[in-house]
Amino acid sequence: MENYGVYTARLAPKIDGLAPGHRACVGCGEALAVRIACKAMGENIIVSNATGCMEVVSSQLPVTAWDIPWIHTLFENAAAVASGVESALKVMVRKGRRPDKGTKAVAMAGDGGTSDIGLQALSGALERGHDLLFICFDNEAYMNTGIQRSSATPFGASTTTSPAGKKSIGQKTWKKNMPAIAVAHDIPYVATASPSYPFDMMEKVKKGLAVNGPAYIHVLSVCPTGWRSAPDLSVRLGRLAVQTGVFPLYEVENGKYKLSIDPSPLRPIQDYLKLQGRFRHLSEGMAKQIQDRVINEYEKLKQKCTCS
Amino acid sequence: MVKITIDGREFEAKEKTKVLEAAKSHNIYIPTLCAHERVVPSCLSMVEEGLAVQTNSERVISERKVAIQKLLARAPESPAIKELAKESGVESTPFPLEDHQNCVLCTLCTCVCQEVVGVSAISKINRSTEPNAIPYTVNFDACIACGSCAYICPTDAITLTDEGNTRTIIWPYQKKNFRLAKCKVCGRCWIPERQIEYMAEKSNQPLEFFDTCLDCRR
Repeated sequence: MENYGVYTARLAPKIDGLAPGHRACVGCGEALAVRIACKAMGENIIVSNATGCMEVVSSQLPVTAWDIPWIHTLFENAAAVASGVESALKVMVRKGRRPDKGTKAVAMAGDGGTSDIGLQALSGALERGHDLLFICFDNEAYMNTGIQRSSATPFGASTTTSPAGKKSIGQKTWKKNMPAIAVAHDIPYVATASPSYPFDMMEKVKKGLAVNGPAYIHVLSVCPTGWRSAPDLSVRLGRLAVQTGVFPLYEVENGKYKLSIDPSPLRPIQDYLKLQGRFRHLSEGMAKQIQDRVINEYEKLKQKCTCS
Repeated sequence: MVKITIDGREFEAKEKTKVLEAAKSHNIYIPTLCAHERVVPSCLSMVEEGLAVQTNSERVISERKVAIQKLLARAPESPAIKELAKESGVESTPFPLEDHQNCVLCTLCTCVCQEVVGVSAISKINRSTEPNAIPYTVNFDACIACGSCAYICPTDAITLTDEGNTRTIIWPYQKKNFRLAKCKVCGRCWIPERQIEYMAEKSNQPLEFFDTCLDCRR
């Protein structure tokens, strides 16, 4: 899907779930990712959106940027609300109060709303087997409250609560592997996607909606404000994250791993790190540590792909 | 705004929109296969004042079933058509099965090639209904291997695969390998060579501009 040429972009659907006029920062990768996801999902959905950047920038009273049915939920219960929506739709169709239009429930959350605060609600929804799609827009920290670290923040990144300095190296822990946690629930569809590969992402969102049962898509959305990178580099950073192996794109259908884009030979990690201010303090040794870890993780993923 | 009636209910629709768009915007389901909002060879009826449309009368449903049965006979292996048949409750087809390698002659690919890409590499030969006639011909000299036809094909009759430095596109009854150009900095294959020539000509950029891939470009 990733290799379609430049002309194909003109054939993408015209509908825009997230209308222009939202207050996202210049170069926001998340706004781009939401737009692409909405193009793939169409209009026959009900979105429940956890607190986070996307909720803050798109729904400032008295206006809203959403062109689709949209519910704002608390930080922790996007998945719970979406499973409630799904159950309610099912019951209303069964009781004949609503024609069966095949409306799907979708939950959207940031990395905080997925891997920290919303994890138990998400785990419950995946385990109960609701027919919903959960999309995590991961910008690797709590960006809208002022760049606090989350469990999805990568090793070595400087944030306001893991600042780099004389006595601190920045974030001390490795990024939580959220897609692996979703896979461990044995659900029909898990995928990672990036708005820098729009056709691949649209395909994955469509697949996630079509499967019968829970689906989880993890989207890396570049945040120029929090990553301290130039706004015009957002799309390139997304591509570099894939090509350096930091965020490989793969999908897991019924337990079967498949690489969507083969990035080998991997680019050196420095290509990705040096464009971001949050990694500016990194010593050579730490960069080497990150490089080793990335290669190690990538090799593990490749083994999973060949095994299954 | 004009007033139209769909299934006995009155709706307002914007002037100069298509009936399909008006129905879709009011969440009324009409199954489609090759309808596309940007490239349009089908579903062209426009709304007009006082128009009355039925989407689920007995006659519509039986006609729809026959149409889907005909499609199913023509392209029995296509996933999109299988899906359409499942939705409409069509299980088998009374028409004789024909092998057209999934092509249903919707002409989306020729429209895209001509209107969006602007190279006219695919064209119709004729509209023969004979079973073994090749419906399309591909002019390999003009094709720039962009893959737009593969992307838009609703029945997966056209496929595109990249392996190493060759891109293979398979059309019904036709197949061609294209060479991919390498980026001079990172050495990845990133674009078909023919596409570089075409883009350089269109954008008046020197050919050297396309030596490096998007990620290595400064």
